[in-house]
Amino acid sequence: MIPDRIIEQGTLTTDGSKATVEVRLPWYRALPGSSISEVGFAIDGVPAQAESLRWTMNGRTFRLDELATELDEWWFPTDSAVVSADLPVEPGEGEHQVDVELKLYIPYIVTDQGVLRIEEHDTKTMKAAKK
Amino acid sequence: MTETLGAPIQGVTLYSFTRAVHGREYDLESLIRKVAADGFGPGLEIIGFSSFRGFPKLDDAFVGWFRDLVAEVDLVPTSLAINADVGIRRDRLLTQEELVEYMTPQIEAAAKLGFSIARVQISLTPDAMEALLPIAERTGVTLALEVHADQHARHERVLALRDRYEKIGSPLLGFTADWGATVKGFAPSLIEAYRRRGASEELLQAVTELWNQTYQDGPPDNQGEHGKRFGAFIGLAHQHGRPDLGIDFGINGTGLFGPAPVDGWLEIAPWIRHVHGKFFGIDENGEEPSVPVRELIQLLVDIGYTGAISSEYEGWHWNYWQSPFDIIRGEQAVQRSAAADAGSRMVTDPAEARAALARHLAQPVRG
Repeated sequence: MIPDRIIEQGTLTTDGSKATVEVRLPWYRALPGSSISEVGFAIDGVPAQAESLRWTMNGRTFRLDELATELDEWWFPTDSAVVSADLPVEPGEGEHQVDVELKLYIPYIVTDQGVLRIEEHDTKTMKAAKK
Repeated sequence: MTETLGAPIQGVTLYSFTRAVHGREYDLESLIRKVAADGFGPGLEIIGFSSFRGFPKLDDAFVGWFRDLVAEVDLVPTSLAINADVGIRRDRLLTQEELVEYMTPQIEAAAKLGFSIARVQISLTPDAMEALLPIAERTGVTLALEVHADQHARHERVLALRDRYEKIGSPLLGFTADWGATVKGFAPSLIEAYRRRGASEELLQAVTELWNQTYQDGPPDNQGEHGKRFGAFIGLAHQHGRPDLGIDFGINGTGLFGPAPVDGWLEIAPWIRHVHGKFFGIDENGEEPSVPVRELIQLLVDIGYTGAISSEYEGWHWNYWQSPFDIIRGEQAVQRSAAADAGSRMVTDPAEARAALARHLAQPVRG
């Protein structure tokens, strides 16, 4: 659902070794942290290692495995979440390809295969701002 | 058929405008003002988890602000759509006892916000609905479980709920009838969206034919049959070298376009407390090409339905090239025309709508 909205244009920042980007929920209603199943983040085709990924929403920062049990913090549909990871990228005028993949559980839809999990992907090109 | 013709209340769910809100073109207040100014009401339906930050926890100041706004623009809150998030935990599904506990604050929020109906969902069993009845009685909120594709009025789960409702005999337990269960064709605007995503004409024709076959076969009566159909859509995408479209075909082909016959609604007619006027687009002739809006309105008038219809535009998922506001305007014109053709009318006056909704919800199911 509206995957082209996932990556917020122009939000890539870097300190040289760590990169961050803002992302939007590709769904119509708020979902709790536990619904965020997998997050992929790559710059210029280089994927971040899962253990270095961090997810920030509502002012709190989580490792992905911490999101699995998070039932108190919800991702509201008009809020941006911030994804960060150890990804080397140089700030400046150069354009970078940013890829974000989100796999989200939809908690009210249960199929024969279990709780529905949607897989959405977005790719955008932008400059990296110095943090 | 009853002797008295129904006169449904016109209205809209803000879900129809998801793309505009998600894109930050409208916030809750400006959208509610727009709905009122454009005459899409008087009925107003909202999804709690979409529109209210922190839902179902709402502070009194926010509740007061919301009620004042709705009163000022003279809309009539009909249904608050709440969610049965049975899969909210990663390790297991909630038990029905936990789900009842999960639904309770959402029903209380509906009452606080001034909605007389809470739309609930199919994961709730007959036992869970019975367990929620005291909450409905305490708050005065009618619980209207949504019958939505891939289920339909003659699905075994829905019939089990209906039988329990009949046994309990409370006017506070009923159904929301979603028109997406009774669709007659794969939406042309979605075919156009797949075309824009590079799907071949051959694949588009194959998808249409597969859906037409499911329509000929009739709706699935159980979850096993539904699973087979879902798989067939995924298989088709793979056969045509577009596996990336498979889940989308499956979700839309089975979950948005339900192939049940319109008269199937008669199975649960006395328990229809609310209606989702689900639709996907308006064509160049001003008609809905895949949802039989005119037949559905005729049926509701014939059964004496006097509750609300929330126009629910779902084509926004894929249609980024047309205004949802124009499309809602077009669909509501079809509803009004169809009601007139059926010898009745849609209620569009707020005061009349308020009184009609109160009467509709208070009457016993077997009145």
